[in-house]
Amino acid sequence: MSDIQDVTAEVPARRQLRTKPFSLADRLFYGITKSASSISVILVVAILLFLLSQSFSTFQTQGFDFITGSQWNNAKGHEVFQIGPMLWGSVLISILGIIGGVPMAIAAAYFIEFMAPKSVAKVATVLVDLLAAMPSIVIGLWGLYVLTPVVAHWGSLLYGLHHVGIGPVSFDIPLFAMSDGSDPSTFGGSPFIAGWIVAVMIVPIITSVTREIFSQMDRDLINSALALGGSRSSVFMRVILPTASGGVTGGVLLGLGRALGETVAIFYVLNLVSDINWFNILQSKGGSVASLVLQKFGEGTPNEIKALMAAGLVLFVLTLLVNWLAAVIVNRAQPWRKL
Amino acid sequence: MSELDLTALPRPVKQPWQVRNPRNTWLVAAASVLPMLLSVLITVVANIDATLATILVFLPLQIIASVGVGQYIFGKKGRGDAILVIFTIFFSTLVGVLLVSVMFSVVVDGLRAMSPQFFGQNNHYISSTTSLEYGGVGHAILGTLLIVGLTTLFTIPLGILIAIYLTETRGRMRSTVRTLVQAISGLPSVVSGLFIYAFLIAPSFSSHGLTQQAGWVGSVALFPLMLPTVARIAEEALRLVPQELRNGAYALGAPAFKAFWQVTLPAAKSGLITAALLGVARIIGETAPLILTTAPSNDTNLNPFVGQIATLPTYLYGYINQVQATSQQRAWGAALVILILVFVLFTLARVLGSAKSTKAKKRK
Repeated sequence: MSDIQDVTAEVPARRQLRTKPFSLADRLFYGITKSASSISVILVVAILLFLLSQSFSTFQTQGFDFITGSQWNNAKGHEVFQIGPMLWGSVLISILGIIGGVPMAIAAAYFIEFMAPKSVAKVATVLVDLLAAMPSIVIGLWGLYVLTPVVAHWGSLLYGLHHVGIGPVSFDIPLFAMSDGSDPSTFGGSPFIAGWIVAVMIVPIITSVTREIFSQMDRDLINSALALGGSRSSVFMRVILPTASGGVTGGVLLGLGRALGETVAIFYVLNLVSDINWFNILQSKGGSVASLVLQKFGEGTPNEIKALMAAGLVLFVLTLLVNWLAAVIVNRAQPWRKL
Repeated sequence: MSELDLTALPRPVKQPWQVRNPRNTWLVAAASVLPMLLSVLITVVANIDATLATILVFLPLQIIASVGVGQYIFGKKGRGDAILVIFTIFFSTLVGVLLVSVMFSVVVDGLRAMSPQFFGQNNHYISSTTSLEYGGVGHAILGTLLIVGLTTLFTIPLGILIAIYLTETRGRMRSTVRTLVQAISGLPSVVSGLFIYAFLIAPSFSSHGLTQQAGWVGSVALFPLMLPTVARIAEEALRLVPQELRNGAYALGAPAFKAFWQVTLPAAKSGLITAALLGVARIIGETAPLILTTAPSNDTNLNPFVGQIATLPTYLYGYINQVQATSQQRAWGAALVILILVFVLFTLARVLGSAKSTKAKKRK
């Protein structure tokens, strides 16, 4: 009888099972990490708030013309701040950068992942990562002194296409023409050159996203397509690209976000003109919101600086939307990243 | 009854699909070399512009040759493959050429400005025509180290804490935080500078701003750019730690904090160091935020809290567009110094990162 009592006495009290942290150290641990991650939310809200508080008066005085108009005047009493040409210039340069960069990036990713021998692929990956880590001012320096002469030469070749004619049949390609008879002898300062520099800046980002998507693809899918008699090209077109299209799109959007916000790399290369340049990509006349901020900030009047804040706000909202979309798409295409 | 021949057949040296017809090898080699030689010949003889020749002579010739060989060897299948291979190699080569061009021009042009005093001296008595024997980026190197070091001090703990939240906890905001961190990683650098200017320097809520342009303001402006890089790479590093290790620690009765501190953290240590190094590499050349939030200087300033301070990117920014040859030389020199710093950080990260991956392999 007494034996039984002794045994029950030794059984410890039933432990309470809890799913929430209950010790002080654990609660601190979770609390600190949680508050640290709320910084990401605070940061975005704070950027919006502070830029808005600074630029509110600009939006009030300039109205919607701030985005669509194309004048910039900081003389007292005649203040007009409108960023239409700059906004369109950013978009145009980004489109050119995407057109130039995406084929390069996808080709490089395909080469690294499916064609190159392992050792070459390893080196190429490191090199692409190194290009991604290259500061944009170094790219800007290189773009100004090394790339500009080369691309200006390509531009002069393309200019030859602005009026194509054989005998009586002739037509114009306005894309390569110069508007209002401006000097076609120099090809510097054009969106075409800035587009190439942006392409160089975004190739590594798109390459690394695409490469990762390619590397995580189900090899059985590719091998079975090959076993069914598919060739390299048909497997690429009908298996790899459709499967990876989501991730590649996300990578391209990430690149687009970078391209829209690119600042110092194109600052010296681009000729900022406050007059909208729709599609004459070879003309020495372009715009970029980020470059505008850099150009006007140093000697800006107080109201002008507020207008630049407004320009920054527009740029921020634009890139945030693009990047958000990209992040959502990339996350959906990479389910293995979700734990 | 004839005797059975029981001697074994010779074992094939190669698997059947590895046997290659040497004639095909020669054809492929010819198709890879001949178009290039031919187009160089045509270009020289007809005196065509090199860019035009690449696109109008070399590429068509190369495509015709490869498609022909592909058709001959593999039939219909070979044609598409030939085109795919050519375009892949063409564009990949373009990427390689651009990359090598960047590195080559920075190294070659930068080396001309290199000398011991370029690293050691500041810019005090330097005008745009002073010869390269005097003056250097010493003050800018110090300024960059101070500003970036200050940013590192508060960004790395925060970035790693975010990574911990994303991997070690089951918090409800995880997917929001992850998406936001990715979205911030594309924050235009100039917007970061404008934000901190609006926050600290511009007269927001009172008649004057909180502070003037100074080194530490630049440090704060670099924070939004460094944070997402550190957080994302640290997240990857923590995710590489096998879940079994954590579960083992929990099963032994360790509270979450101890399990992280004594099991997960040591296992992920080298990955976290990589995250820190790559984060520093991300911001060491950032220019636009520093232009807006710090005032450039020609003198050495060791106090990031007061006064003008020079950094490598703003130094380069100031010299990039000068007409004088010596000024351009200084710009290339500063670019080379930045490149060396990035390269050193990168190599360190690679070395420590590869140590991590070999450990992970051994564990498997």
